[in-house]
Amino acid sequence: MERRLRGVDGDANYQLNLEDALACAAHDIVVFVDAARGLSRPFAFTEVRPAAGLPAMSHALDPGTVLAITARLYGKTPEARLLAIRGHSFAIGEGLTRKAEGNLALALAFLEAFLKGVRK
Amino acid sequence: MGRKITIEPVTRVEGHGKVTIRLDDAGKVTQSRFHVVEFRGFERFVQGRPYWEAPVLVQRLCGICPVSHHLASAKAMDIVVGTGPGHLTATAEKIRRLMHYGQMLQSHALHFFHLASPDLLLGMDADPAIRNVIGIIALDKDLATRAVLLRKFGQEIILATAGKKIHGTGAVPGGVNKNLSPEERDRFLKGPEPLTIDRMIEWSQGALELFKGYHRKNKDVIDGFAEFPSNHLSLVRKDGALDFYHGVLRAVDADGRKVLNDVDYQDYLEHIGEETRSWSYMKFPYLRALGKADGWYRVGPLARLNTCDYIPSPLAQKEFETYKAYTDGKPNNMSLHTHWARLIELLHAAEVIKELLCDKDLQGTKLVKKGRRAPEGVGLVEAPRGTLFHHYRVNADDQITMANLIVSTTNNNEPMNRAVHWVAMNVLSEKPEITEGMLNRVEVAIRAYDPCLSCATHALGRMPLEVSLVDASGRVLQRKVR
Repeated sequence: MERRLRGVDGDANYQLNLEDALACAAHDIVVFVDAARGLSRPFAFTEVRPAAGLPAMSHALDPGTVLAITARLYGKTPEARLLAIRGHSFAIGEGLTRKAEGNLALALAFLEAFLKGVRK
Repeated sequence: MGRKITIEPVTRVEGHGKVTIRLDDAGKVTQSRFHVVEFRGFERFVQGRPYWEAPVLVQRLCGICPVSHHLASAKAMDIVVGTGPGHLTATAEKIRRLMHYGQMLQSHALHFFHLASPDLLLGMDADPAIRNVIGIIALDKDLATRAVLLRKFGQEIILATAGKKIHGTGAVPGGVNKNLSPEERDRFLKGPEPLTIDRMIEWSQGALELFKGYHRKNKDVIDGFAEFPSNHLSLVRKDGALDFYHGVLRAVDADGRKVLNDVDYQDYLEHIGEETRSWSYMKFPYLRALGKADGWYRVGPLARLNTCDYIPSPLAQKEFETYKAYTDGKPNNMSLHTHWARLIELLHAAEVIKELLCDKDLQGTKLVKKGRRAPEGVGLVEAPRGTLFHHYRVNADDQITMANLIVSTTNNNEPMNRAVHWVAMNVLSEKPEITEGMLNRVEVAIRAYDPCLSCATHALGRMPLEVSLVDASGRVLQRKVR
């Protein structure tokens, strides 16, 4: 996506953490993308707001908490979305199923259109 | 009627575990247990996979210290490809070290600033709604900013050496697949500010001063909390220096006597046993020489500063001398001094990173060496949380036929149980009312060991944790789930 669209940066993380607040603060729009269980459609695209209360803390953070830290630490509140892409098999060592590959293609096409729309 | 306390999940701890504290009719603690209720699956998962995949696959055990698994596995596979410790090229050995010390920097910074400091700076009885990183931001924005940037710097070091921040591919059996370019080196050494190694050293010193200042004013909180005697185990360099990447296995008892005297870790099975108990999936390792009852030990920052003779970097060595003087040179058995030890290690990691960045071997091009194939290999590193063991057997078709992992948190299983028991006996027992602050102290005791339960159970995915208070009839009176 970042190769196809100017002004878009991509970052891949195993889990979100403190320093992701720095990246969020440096961008106007942030889209968190992850595989999802329990979705009935190929993908869901929802707004994410800074968490009001802090959820259970461990070494990993959720998107709302990263945004809360971004707001408190850097005074920035980027427009944020969560793109949840339906997965079908989460067994250890499995690659993407054909259905998941289809969901991914649909989700990325949607995201590309969304980002192009934002640029306009 | 007796009572039982359950706390789940223990917050600011990686993974899923459960604490159960049983009280009798008078409110006196009769039993306390820190159990792990998650299935271990990873050792079987790697069976049948080609050996060269292991350093990449096993990192998926953990999102917070994947580099430790990556390197321990690569070290085991070095043996398999006939390039044991000391036989890698200088570039490969130093790139791996840089990766590992970068990880130590980011992990220790995350733990202290994000997970531990809220208990210290905001208080163990503070409102849980603010006793977290948001509370730290409100208290001291500069401190929180430094935490973010220390983490980021460590992650950038990992990115430059492993190819990715998380689950990199830099270490391969027999060496590494990339060196450090002069551009990457110069970025870490000279800017842009503030992401330079000199600034990281300065901030690591600042973190230590913060802890020492807090300690001076709160010795009653820090010193006595969950103090109990134990053995301590870690790798040390052959000359007795602190070393996170390679060395020999040393264990000392609570008085500092060597009970495991600098042995080759390829023979770890002769020295370390693992006991299973019906109430936890996490095993209980012990020193065979002392037996199951007396052979349990601590690992991690506290243990490492008890086993090593000195720290081979000047600023951290100076801090080490002050730290050792506090216990008259004897082993330190105070659980919350783990934070002090961790911050000395943070400073040491930053100093070693600078030393490595200035080493021209990092730009070398001889990256991999191979020798005569062996059917079996053991790899150890000192992970942020303590000694990490990886052991594999490989068949003639290059498939892994056996894997045994003893992770840091498993090594600390009995000590964490002892720490919980200390809190149960000294804070909760015979109290008319159990407050949130009292229950948080159970978590504080566990958090000192910075456990990663997803590593310890060798499982994948999300795993929270709980604490419960149960009466003599088994009724849950209080349960903490966040």
